[in-house]
Amino acid sequence: MELGRLLRTQEILILALVIVFSTIITIVNPSFFSFENLFDLVRSNSGVAILAVGIFIVLLSGGIDVSSTTIAIAGQYIAVNVLLASGINSIALAFLVSIGVGVALGAINALFVSLLNIPTLIVTLGTSSLFHGALLEFVGSRSINSGNLPSAIKDFGRTNIIPLTRANGSEYGLSVFFLIAVAVIVLTWYILKYTMLGRGIYAIGGNQEAAERVGFNIKKIKFFIYCYSGFLAGIMGVMHVALIRTANPQYLVGSELSIIAAVVIGGARLTGGVGTMAGTILGVVLVTILEKNLVLLGLPSYWQKFFIGAVLIIGVVITYGEILTKKRKGAASGARPEIKQVEAEGVR
Amino acid sequence: MSARSIHNLALLFLLAVVILSITIVLPGKFLTVINFQSMGSQFPEFALLALAMMLAMITGGIDLSVVAIANLAGVVAAFILSRSVGTDVSPYLAIAAAVVAALSVAALCGLVNGILVAWINVPPILATLGTQAAFMGMAIVITRGSAFSIFPEEYAFVGNGTVLGIPFPLILFVIAAVAVAIVLKQSPQGFSMKMLGSSPIVSRFSGIRNDRILIKTYVFVALLAGVAALIIISRSNSMRAGYGEAYLLSTILVAVLGRTDPDGGEENLLGVVLGILILQATQSGLNILSISPFFTKFVWGAALLSVLVAMHFIPKIQKQRQVRLQKRALAAAGAEHGSKT
Repeated sequence: MELGRLLRTQEILILALVIVFSTIITIVNPSFFSFENLFDLVRSNSGVAILAVGIFIVLLSGGIDVSSTTIAIAGQYIAVNVLLASGINSIALAFLVSIGVGVALGAINALFVSLLNIPTLIVTLGTSSLFHGALLEFVGSRSINSGNLPSAIKDFGRTNIIPLTRANGSEYGLSVFFLIAVAVIVLTWYILKYTMLGRGIYAIGGNQEAAERVGFNIKKIKFFIYCYSGFLAGIMGVMHVALIRTANPQYLVGSELSIIAAVVIGGARLTGGVGTMAGTILGVVLVTILEKNLVLLGLPSYWQKFFIGAVLIIGVVITYGEILTKKRKGAASGARPEIKQVEAEGVR
Repeated sequence: MSARSIHNLALLFLLAVVILSITIVLPGKFLTVINFQSMGSQFPEFALLALAMMLAMITGGIDLSVVAIANLAGVVAAFILSRSVGTDVSPYLAIAAAVVAALSVAALCGLVNGILVAWINVPPILATLGTQAAFMGMAIVITRGSAFSIFPEEYAFVGNGTVLGIPFPLILFVIAAVAVAIVLKQSPQGFSMKMLGSSPIVSRFSGIRNDRILIKTYVFVALLAGVAALIIISRSNSMRAGYGEAYLLSTILVAVLGRTDPDGGEENLLGVVLGILILQATQSGLNILSISPFFTKFVWGAALLSVLVAMHFIPKIQKQRQVRLQKRALAAAGAEHGSKT
């Protein structure tokens, strides 16, 4: 890619924003740029990044999935309950159950999405209400706190791959969560870039009818997309309980819009077919910095939501206002702005 | 009979079933004037938001920010009202100022949504996803995370007063519903909204200014949310940011239940109003029966999905039947023709 084009991509813009924000925060409060703070950011946001990857894949195919946080909490809560009921104290079983629940619920999403030719937002709003209601009514609504949590989950949350010691002798380090997040990111990137399935996901998002005529099996691919999103949500569910050491079936639900916001800030287009893994991760990083570190700047925490909204609006204005690409497009088809406008509206 | 009237008859039937079954289970508790009065002041705030959602959907869009707009407008009005208490400003002047401020803030929010959607071509889901965070964020910033309370006593009338026994919020809702009906069925704006919803390209080439129609739509949507805000703050006599976030799913549910096509183009105001009544009757019945809100959540999800499935398959089955009937007619005609020669 030539340098000029590279500089106009959304990824570079976000990277620049991340650097600018980090610099400002470091100048105001140097404790931001310490291993301790950075490792802590990684530990507390790896799960969010994994969920964001699932949401990204769905966005890429032209859909939108607001049920993934519900799926994550369902996987987590059922897994913890299974561990407690069976008495088996194993993190592997927790992951197995949570992922199983995630894939199953993802399959239900997939069923409705491929069955009904209806905006996926509405379908997943319905399923998330269904899943969450069922979880709270039939599985339980009681919060399981740290004292009753299986020790395998708590130990997992404390595992570090790079252990370090503070000056006062206490330990901290780079959490194992980082490894899981990297594995998920690499796997997803590989699927998207080097497999027929991945190209199919891009193709569906670009133009479903064309993808179908070329010979992609739309239903199969969509089935994969929603099951994979559920799979990632299942992983995230266990990481989340290991992180906060409380399994509360009311947590997480409601944060899906800010994760979608992070993915969109990363440049994924809602109309599908456009977006990169790098952008998604950068979007998550940017939102994380905004969410968790405004306090370091001395801004009261009640500014968070407003800032995220503002950044999201700026992000979509840049993406859809074609501010980065306007000049080139204008030169190519400048003679008929009327048609261009109508085409753009048609896409909507 | 058109598919729409069949749908509305089905909804009417459903409403009757819901009311009847609750009455049978709870004799003397549900069908009382007091219960109806309390329902009449409860549901209009939600109903106004549902109408707003319906309007956005008719143009093929969606407005995820309706609840956030109601929050921001409510917070602004609550700020003015709570500040006026204890000063020598006339309460009526304060109320007038609060109403004007709430509606102007709402209109401004709608204008932002409209500009993002119409001029910058941002898909409505994303535009309103961003603005809902920003508007709600502003409401949080204004309240600094706490609540404004204690309003002039006179303001309680908006949420709790009655005129000839009819709750005032209900009257506000009826006025709003009539206004929406006039816009949709009688005005060029309503016609253009439906055109735009079914095909933006066709509507553009028919000489409709899509951008203006969209901006007006989102402002109208926001104004309805603003009126809802006025009822909300009066009913709870306080306002904190984050009120009624659970309404969002229900507004979409009701709009779809009322056969608003999420892809745009079709409207069914009567259906949406019936949907609102069904939702309120069920909610109120489940409340009296003290059924857990979790189960209710489960039921709403199931209801939304069932409606979607039904809306998808009923036209297909009808079409198949038509095709079968046509084939039979053709075959009969063919046989007749064969016997003649």
